[in-house]
Amino acid sequence: MARMKFLCDIERCIACDGCVIACKEGNNVPVGINRRRVVTINEGQPGEKSISISCMHCSDAPCIAVCPVDAIYQREDGIVLVNKDTCIGCGYCFMACPFGAPQFPSGKVFGARGAMDKCTFCAGGPAETFSQKERKLYGQNRIAEGKPPLCAAMCATKALLAGDADIVADIYRERVFRRGSGVNAWGWSRAYGKK
Amino acid sequence: MNRFIQGLHALFSATVQDHKTWLSHMIYFQESLGWKLFLAIITLVPLMFLAHYLFIGPRRFSHQKGLVFFFSVITRFIHWIAAISFTFLVITGLMVIFARSLGGGGLVLQARHWHLVSAIVFSLSALPMFLIWVKDMFPAPYDIEWLFMMGGYLSKETRPIPAGKFNAGQKMWFWLATLGGGVMAWTGWYIYSLGAPTHSLRLFVLIHGYLAAVLTGFFIIHLYMSLFAIKGSLRSMITGYKPKEEVEILHSRFKV
Repeated sequence: MARMKFLCDIERCIACDGCVIACKEGNNVPVGINRRRVVTINEGQPGEKSISISCMHCSDAPCIAVCPVDAIYQREDGIVLVNKDTCIGCGYCFMACPFGAPQFPSGKVFGARGAMDKCTFCAGGPAETFSQKERKLYGQNRIAEGKPPLCAAMCATKALLAGDADIVADIYRERVFRRGSGVNAWGWSRAYGKK
Repeated sequence: MNRFIQGLHALFSATVQDHKTWLSHMIYFQESLGWKLFLAIITLVPLMFLAHYLFIGPRRFSHQKGLVFFFSVITRFIHWIAAISFTFLVITGLMVIFARSLGGGGLVLQARHWHLVSAIVFSLSALPMFLIWVKDMFPAPYDIEWLFMMGGYLSKETRPIPAGKFNAGQKMWFWLATLGGGVMAWTGWYIYSLGAPTHSLRLFVLIHGYLAAVLTGFFIIHLYMSLFAIKGSLRSMITGYKPKEEVEILHSRFKV
């Protein structure tokens, strides 16, 4: 089975924030929750770089390891999802994540954290596919529809690639070869490297 | 602005470097060590006491020689607020530790909320408790003797035990519950609010977990001593009076 991965080509990202807005609008993500965000380093200086970051759907994901209720799980295609009915909002996944992916809306009781929300690779969630519940809790299920995630589909410069890891890596390798720069894809060794 | 970005960058790279140490330990604690440690404590400690109860047996003291006033009304009142909130803390904390077996969701979420409420109540009662008892809780030379003979609980023989108003075990429990409770409240607040850098939060989770294990152990010891090991001990925290004979034996250095 194909292994799904994200790749952000930092030589191409122009920090237009299109991915962030596509994600927020398309998945009805509440205010204050960012499933994806763009970080710019050395802004206004030579060597300025921007990276679009979300959940990387890591191999051997640390969030799954630390979750006290086993609410986070990994699908066969590598997509990491959270079950919001099981999540207790303890925040341990946030402490374990190297990418700052887990997000917490404020809940009803004492402003305590609600269930964790994060990038689903636009693959919905554990609720029944295309159900109202899935749409409401997790957003679109574009993977089930045979479409790529909103962020990557929207990306104007195609800096953000999402899909079958082998194809994504091939596209990136060819780009690197042609332009002669940017050997290591940002975050890949941390997300998908052998531990 | 430039300095700010440099600062953020330095913080980020420091976090990434520290990331490995505390994260791997936190994963180890969360995956297996944590629940195994707590399972061991809540089964082995009670089993040990069951053996003690069966083979050595509880202590009984007669009321014939009269009673000694030990705990004032305010002391008892604050003790019971602390006791009830601490019991809730232990139960809800254990529910989070064993959340996997409970299936997560609403029940454990409720436990997490009640953990916070009881923590606030306990913190409020721990401060006056500390002030009331601290003068009797400083270590004394005879505490070492007490520790070596395990408070005399390993023999059936009744002879005066070296202890002041409180014995060495009670003193340890006092310092763990108040100062340790302070550390628990401090780390717990940051874990709850996520109000510290990520690598500190990981460390706080570990401190909170290990100290909780020690506190749970001492909590069970305290329960056994007050409910079973010394008959009538519970009554002394309700009425405020201890039998004179008990004070003469178990708190032999206490000047009435």
